[in-house]
Amino acid sequence: MRANYFLSETVTNLKRNVLMTVAAISTVAISLLLLGGVRILDLTINNVTSRWEAKVEISTFLRDDIAPDETEDLESDLANMNEVQGITYVSKEEAFEEFKELYADHPEFYETLPKDSLPASLRIKLTDADYTQLVAARIRGAPGVDSVNFGGDIIKRLLQVNSLLRTITLAMSVILLVAAAALIANTIRLAIYARRDEIGIMKLVGATNWFIRIPFMLEGVFAAMVGALVSGLVVLLSNEFLFSRVGNFLQFLGPVFEFSTSEILWVLALLILVGAGIGIVGSMLALRRFLEV
Amino acid sequence: MIKMVVVEKTYKGGIHALNGISVEMEKGEFVFIVGPSGSGKSTFMKLLTKEEEPTAGEIYVAGKNLANLPRWRVPYLRRNVGSVFQDFKLLPNKTVFENVAFALEVIGRPKSVVRRQVPQILELVGLGEKLDRFPDELSGGEQQRVSIARAFVNRPLILVADEPTGNLDPATSVGIMRLLDRINRTGTTVVMATHDHAIVDSMRRRVIELEGGNVVRDQSRGIYGVGT
Repeated sequence: MRANYFLSETVTNLKRNVLMTVAAISTVAISLLLLGGVRILDLTINNVTSRWEAKVEISTFLRDDIAPDETEDLESDLANMNEVQGITYVSKEEAFEEFKELYADHPEFYETLPKDSLPASLRIKLTDADYTQLVAARIRGAPGVDSVNFGGDIIKRLLQVNSLLRTITLAMSVILLVAAAALIANTIRLAIYARRDEIGIMKLVGATNWFIRIPFMLEGVFAAMVGALVSGLVVLLSNEFLFSRVGNFLQFLGPVFEFSTSEILWVLALLILVGAGIGIVGSMLALRRFLEV
Repeated sequence: MIKMVVVEKTYKGGIHALNGISVEMEKGEFVFIVGPSGSGKSTFMKLLTKEEEPTAGEIYVAGKNLANLPRWRVPYLRRNVGSVFQDFKLLPNKTVFENVAFALEVIGRPKSVVRRQVPQILELVGLGEKLDRFPDELSGGEQQRVSIARAFVNRPLILVADEPTGNLDPATSVGIMRLLDRINRTGTTVVMATHDHAIVDSMRRRVIELEGGNVVRDQSRGIYGVGT
């Protein structure tokens, strides 16, 4: 019977305050859409940097007088490191072929060179670009190693930019969350303010605080959930129809606008959870003042 | 039923509304609280429903020490203390029936009880024919009857009325007083703040006079003012 009362009260109030309901729903939808947008931006940054990181490799140039078993030792040492994903051996001949390809337009660069003038090398791919310095330091000075090259500064800067961008998107997410909760609290406060006489009388005749609170909270949660669904739907549709087009347009960046279903579902779950959360927190905040006395 | 022991109330800003008053009221009494504006009448009434809390002293209502009553129990106190106000406090968008039913619904009474008790109480206050009217279609006296019905539908032990006739003409006021008298005869303790001389003088009930936050007179079967 109680549940019945709360539900019918909630529905009546939502209907009676259509404007407020619409305002609350659109507030949540817009705030959460921004939040979702920021999460998508974060995923995009992630895609871009992981592509960059995939290109990061350490070139270990080997001395010409290296013994074959020294090369093998080095390779097996590297293979045993957790940070190392893969090793490619590039012989002197292969290095020369690559050089030729690279400067195909300028035959004068390689025509004069003896075929064995370029050193053999090991190209090391890492599981994470963060380990570059570490691994490079370990192999530098190993027997048979001439020099280690990993484009140090560029990688460092790349990693810095990446972490800066992620910090910015995180800060934006937090700010948007707080803003959304405040907006919802405010909208509910307006709805409550419009009905303060009713609440006053409820208190007067001995309604408990929870009895008064629950319909408002259901209202807040309902509005927030609908808002969250709207924003989730927009994210879903964008993923379906918009991102691939933008991706085509920005092809030179690679497939940065392609997200897995699970990534998108996480964003949706986040939006709905956050929506419900701010619905509850917002209405609690808004109700506190009115229930004193 | 009601007991105040050296109750003081000082509002923020240092206004002394009550200066240590002690009174006691028995079950079934009809008590007028009289005195000029600013004498502490309204504060006195608000203390009974714990709308305000005393700065010092003890208040017992329906056997409970209000100081020891936790916040969440206050609604249960108010179910035993019906309130009537000068400005009726009816919900304009609800009908007469709905206004009274609301008081039962929000304390969780089942629909069957609501359907039985609301017409009964409205019959008692003489509005049995106007269940579906809205407050603004009623006269002031009728609106006050609705608010009394709302305060009494739950059969509280105590009815507190703060200037219930303050907005009504003398003839209508007489009707309201008859109604309160009838409610009192059912055994309900009625506490009414007023500065309507004629009413107090005609009823000849207990009168507690406040002035400047002190009880200056407590007289059974009293009149509004001594020698006036």
